Amino acid sequence: MNNGKDSEVLSINKLSKHYYGYGSLFNFKKNIIKAVDNVSFKVYKGDIFSIVGETGCGKSTLSKLILGLTSRSSGEIFYQGNILNYNLRKSDLRKKIQIVFQDPYSSLNPKKKIYKIVSLPAIKNKTIKKKDALQYSMQMLKKVGLDENYVFKFPHELSGGQRQRISIARSLSVNPELLVLDEPVSALDVSVSAQLLNLLLDLHEKNNLTYIFITHDLRLVRHMADKVCVMYGGKIMEISPVDKFFNGPLHPYSRVLLESILAYGPKNILQFADAGNISLNNINTGIKKNSSGCVYYNLCSRREVQCINNEPELKENGDVQVNCFFPYYSSE
Amino acid sequence: MSLIIDDLTVKLYTDFKKKEFFNVADSVSFTIQNGEIMAVVGESGSGKSFLGLSLMRLNPPYISEISSGSILISDSGSSEKIDIVKLKENQLSGVRGRLISMIFQDPNVSLNPVIKIGDQIVEAILAHKKMKKKDACDIAIHYLELMRIDGKARFNSYPHELSGGMRQRVMIAMAMVLEPAVLVADEPTTALDVKTSLQVLALIEKMRFEKNVSVLFITHDLSIARNISDKTIVFYAGQIMEYGLTEDIITNPAHPYSISLTKSVPGLSRDYAPRERLFVIPGSLSQSDFKSGKCRFYNRCFKKTERCLTEIPLLKLSSGRFARCVNIQ
Repeated sequence: MNNGKDSEVLSINKLSKHYYGYGSLFNFKKNIIKAVDNVSFKVYKGDIFSIVGETGCGKSTLSKLILGLTSRSSGEIFYQGNILNYNLRKSDLRKKIQIVFQDPYSSLNPKKKIYKIVSLPAIKNKTIKKKDALQYSMQMLKKVGLDENYVFKFPHELSGGQRQRISIARSLSVNPELLVLDEPVSALDVSVSAQLLNLLLDLHEKNNLTYIFITHDLRLVRHMADKVCVMYGGKIMEISPVDKFFNGPLHPYSRVLLESILAYGPKNILQFADAGNISLNNINTGIKKNSSGCVYYNLCSRREVQCINNEPELKENGDVQVNCFFPYYSSE
Repeated sequence: MSLIIDDLTVKLYTDFKKKEFFNVADSVSFTIQNGEIMAVVGESGSGKSFLGLSLMRLNPPYISEISSGSILISDSGSSEKIDIVKLKENQLSGVRGRLISMIFQDPNVSLNPVIKIGDQIVEAILAHKKMKKKDACDIAIHYLELMRIDGKARFNSYPHELSGGMRQRVMIAMAMVLEPAVLVADEPTTALDVKTSLQVLALIEKMRFEKNVSVLFITHDLSIARNISDKTIVFYAGQIMEYGLTEDIITNPAHPYSISLTKSVPGLSRDYAPRERLFVIPGSLSQSDFKSGKCRFYNRCFKKTERCLTEIPLLKLSSGRFARCVNIQ
């Protein structure tokens, strides 16, 4: 899959997004929420780059930043070497990056017929003319495995899986190169999500797409991804290739996350309740909020005095990048 | 034996005159021992939530009705068993919460947003037991702490001040506060995060050991069922398709539907490889499947033969293992 370093598609450099909570009338800006904080990574062509983390770790904000749906506080995003700046109305860049949202029920306009939904991005980006809309959307529906007759239906006539296929068809209608998938199957049933995962893998192979796959389900990561990026509290904790990650991640948080996948071995839940598990005992504490030190300090099993005041940085360690002073060694 | 369900059939009417109907639960029988967790797995629309609601007689009135069968629960005080199906409407509120209680899927909508969580739990206690409000408060705080919530600090919180996982834990505390014999958990972790769902599952498991409660755990996720349950029912179109020990069903499924289900989840079947295309069950569950005289899985099955066109009984495979299929060797 990897064609070397020269073919990087997306490169993110020290990207941050801060939200300000207004404490009172006069001391505003005091309450800073760092949704995405100093994040840097690279995505290569043809990769499935997956971002995992629990709720509120900033993964959706990151996807919005990549799409330009929200403004960034600092940092840069490069797309194939060019700075991505949506304010310049570079419509050809808009075409190349598309998103599939999590909830298929709220991401489609209920008042429009399917062919209008699917062809709108293509018409706006001048890929096709308006009179070809119907023909074009039929083609797109065939691509995602739906019947052509669906073009005259409304979204409420379709099931969840079919709607998610429509969202994918809409994203593909402008021939994107990078597709951001924001938890595409978490709202769907078992057998429907299996269909959709197969479709996504087929499209990935056929159209030579690059995916950024955002999820909280590590089983899907193992199934789909080439690289895993673990986020916590707006920061990247670890970036590693998928087989290395599942053989033993280096960051303490990644270990906790991996232990919590339920597919691994039967009957191990009570272990979590009894064995002095950190994530259970310190249920009320969470992300460390004051500005200095490691964000994962409060829950960490390997914390030392050094971690309170010094902030670790993402360091290369072979082909794995870890954001920790005391990472596990892979043999442990 | 704490919960015995025998030949339970629930009708769901499809017209106002109550002439047309289909059975959302069709002669369902199983028993759950004390301190046992039974998982019910199946696709959405297969009737598993309806089964859970029917156990508490919470199935929607006027459009549905328990037409036959019995739900027997042993009362803690006496040796006699109570049949929930035969109870009158005004007797039901004495049973719900005290003998059998339920955790719902979405904790965001199942708590009252304008009442403090402590008061909501105390209300449940005072409805069943005569005691001083102060003592009830102590019990409520004790149960919140069992759920690893700081009871004293959170007693006066409103639901919107809590996170999703905390709200679900409050729901479990509320369900467990009267020490019921049976707990029905209807997809309690679907709306939650991976880590919080693990905490909630661990707490249900803990309650099972400490309070010896029998749990009916409804889920669509086979890997959760594998982790938490002792026995599993594979439910499809209102019928039990396969029944047995969880580990047996997941590692060695017998019924074609169970085989299809385990193959459609990444990382569950034995011969799994990443990026391999997952097995997809063709077609979808439709209302007509509930009525037909043939095997209900017939239209979507990969093993179908002519023998499947008659009504198929639950066949015994080995001790404690049943499947509703004639094509198993």
